[in-house]
Amino acid sequence: MDQQRKHRILMVSDFFYPNFGGVESHIYYLSQCLLKLGHKVVVMTHAYGNRSGVRYVTNGLKVYYVPWRPFLMQNTLPTFYGTLPITRTILVRERISIVHGHQAFSTLCHEALMHARTMGYKIIFTDHSLYGFADVGSIHMNKVLQFTLADISQAICVSHTSKENTVLRSGITPERVFVIPNAVDTAMFSPAPNRLSCDEIVIIVVSRLVYRKGADLLVEVIPEVCQLFPNVRFVVGGDGPKRVRLEEMREKYSLQDRVEMLGAVPHSQVRSVLISGHIFLNSSLTEAFCIAILEAASCGLLTVSTRVGGVPEVLPDDMIVLAEPDPGDMVHAIGKAIHMLPNINPHVMHSQMKKLYSWHDVAKRTEIVYDCALQSSDESLLQRLPRYLKCGAWAGKLFGLVMIVNFLLWWLLELWQPAESIEEVPDLVLVQNEHEERMQDFVEAQD
Amino acid sequence: MEGATDQVIERPKWKKVAYGGMQPGYDDNFTDESFLEEMVMNANVVKRDLWKVMQDSVSITQYICLVALVVSVWAHTLSLNIDEISLLKLDVGLIALGFSILLLTTSQLSVQLLSRYFLNISFFICGLYILAPIYHTLTRSISSDSIVALTVSLLIIHLFLHDYSGSTIRPPGALKNPNLASNISLNASIVASVLVASRLPSRLHVFAIMLFSLQIFLFAPLITFCIKKYSNRVHLGFSFALMNMTLSVVCQLHGMLFVLLLGLLLFISVVCPYWLIRIQEYKFEINGPWDEAKLCFDITE
Repeated sequence: MDQQRKHRILMVSDFFYPNFGGVESHIYYLSQCLLKLGHKVVVMTHAYGNRSGVRYVTNGLKVYYVPWRPFLMQNTLPTFYGTLPITRTILVRERISIVHGHQAFSTLCHEALMHARTMGYKIIFTDHSLYGFADVGSIHMNKVLQFTLADISQAICVSHTSKENTVLRSGITPERVFVIPNAVDTAMFSPAPNRLSCDEIVIIVVSRLVYRKGADLLVEVIPEVCQLFPNVRFVVGGDGPKRVRLEEMREKYSLQDRVEMLGAVPHSQVRSVLISGHIFLNSSLTEAFCIAILEAASCGLLTVSTRVGGVPEVLPDDMIVLAEPDPGDMVHAIGKAIHMLPNINPHVMHSQMKKLYSWHDVAKRTEIVYDCALQSSDESLLQRLPRYLKCGAWAGKLFGLVMIVNFLLWWLLELWQPAESIEEVPDLVLVQNEHEERMQDFVEAQD
Repeated sequence: MEGATDQVIERPKWKKVAYGGMQPGYDDNFTDESFLEEMVMNANVVKRDLWKVMQDSVSITQYICLVALVVSVWAHTLSLNIDEISLLKLDVGLIALGFSILLLTTSQLSVQLLSRYFLNISFFICGLYILAPIYHTLTRSISSDSIVALTVSLLIIHLFLHDYSGSTIRPPGALKNPNLASNISLNASIVASVLVASRLPSRLHVFAIMLFSLQIFLFAPLITFCIKKYSNRVHLGFSFALMNMTLSVVCQLHGMLFVLLLGLLLFISVVCPYWLIRIQEYKFEINGPWDEAKLCFDITE
């Protein structure tokens, strides 16, 4: 127990509650489990609406809503150095030992990691998404990632495919990239108490109705399945620009009584939608991991999904039917799933999921990565600069320059407000424990 | 990983899966031999042939020649070397030539379509004739230097954004709609023609030159597109004839311009294709399971 070090971790990302998505819940559950393991965890994100300042959430998880407004897709405006003072203050105040950034397109994450590295902290980065190599947006994002990962201690990816992608994009050595998948809160996603009858088969779709989630595939697949299997009904949850196309399809084939469109489903009600069906259909065109599949499987649904990105790694073969992202093959896969359905017991599947995935396991594996990061040696700026220069003929020099300027700014800040003058925050949890201990001592003394 | 050498026989085979927690005997940063196995490099790279690329570049040089011809006609008209009657004769000749080429090369033409074309063109000519007095006095308060500078920059914009592979006016049977850039390009050329026309001495002059420039800018791409679709040989022959004609016309106009144009034509048809072939070896394209899947059907909105 003694040799096991307790870490003080700062999680940084533009994405956190009240926003909702895979990254947000990943950070939340990971933080909760790390807290349970006895580490200190603080989350840093940007302000959401009037939610600005410090908040405590469940189990004393402290969240800094930094007063920077998002400007595009929940991202803060990239200013390179604007967030240095506040990041530095948080790092010093909370006596952080490790900074853990999430999501490749979060500007706040990249900036905070850069500042933390300048100040000599060990940094970890988790990549939650896949990128191509061909379009302008990807090329830009990959260069930014290369900059952040040039001098990183360890990186984490959510699937093996994602690891391959990250290694190619950033040029980091594969040994420094860990694969730690997402998990699912199996207690929250439990199957329906009574087994549904198989007379009418309900296929559930819960996803944002956008191009990348394959809404156009649904438009082709749904009418064909309805025609082939007269006892099948669809329930589509989610909203988005492609909803109109789905509604048009429903009108065109007069499937109003067989395709139910729920609109946007809040995350708290996803379970109640899931347990009303037998089969979960995922039609994504690209996906690093796909938590939605886990949630469905945890509710005991058989999953039919496109074979893209990291999806084939997510579930064992008896819990998922994979198909190529092509309408014909998907209809075929749905037929196969309907055939398999009588042998599926939702409660057995749920208990199997409990064994396969847990956030506690994720936290323990992340702990190993933190230990690994702390073992790496401390280096001065001059030792680190060559790594940036290796990033490219022009980009390398630019990256090096950015880091030097950041170093000078940090040095100026140190002069202006020395780190010793920043008041450290007492630990809430530790105080509670001490209080309990003292109470115990007091009680014992009285006895 | 190093310490596990004695367990090699016992430990189960590593699987590329994310479920079931940490795989026994393997760390999370374990990199299997199958790492990056599914990566494909340069799968969609097309081998290019120098001769083919040179032939393709003819479409660009041909259009540049057309624009150069228009500019020389403008220059001659502005210096009053060409009078309005010969300009009108040229216009009529061009319309006749255009229609005959269209008739010869396009098989889909019907009487109905042809009559629609005739109707549209007559409306177009009438409109232009009515508007000519307005164009005539449009830029009276602006100095000629500004007009020339503006015209030159508009023509450069036109050439940069022009859609060399298709035609902004939709030819019969074309699937693609013109894009934004080609529309901007067309508008730039029309504004340039209006600017030039407004410096001319009489209304008939203005009408004749406007009709001429619009014929070229609007319909020449359509005609050349039809020729190219009809036969590549005819297209190449036509282009070479056009190039020779342009070079001789420009040579009479100005010696320096001739050298510039010749240099530009050689650069586009010889240097650029060679350059393109040379830089092909730097092509590095990566594909793999992380790519976004492409839909194999058309989305009809």
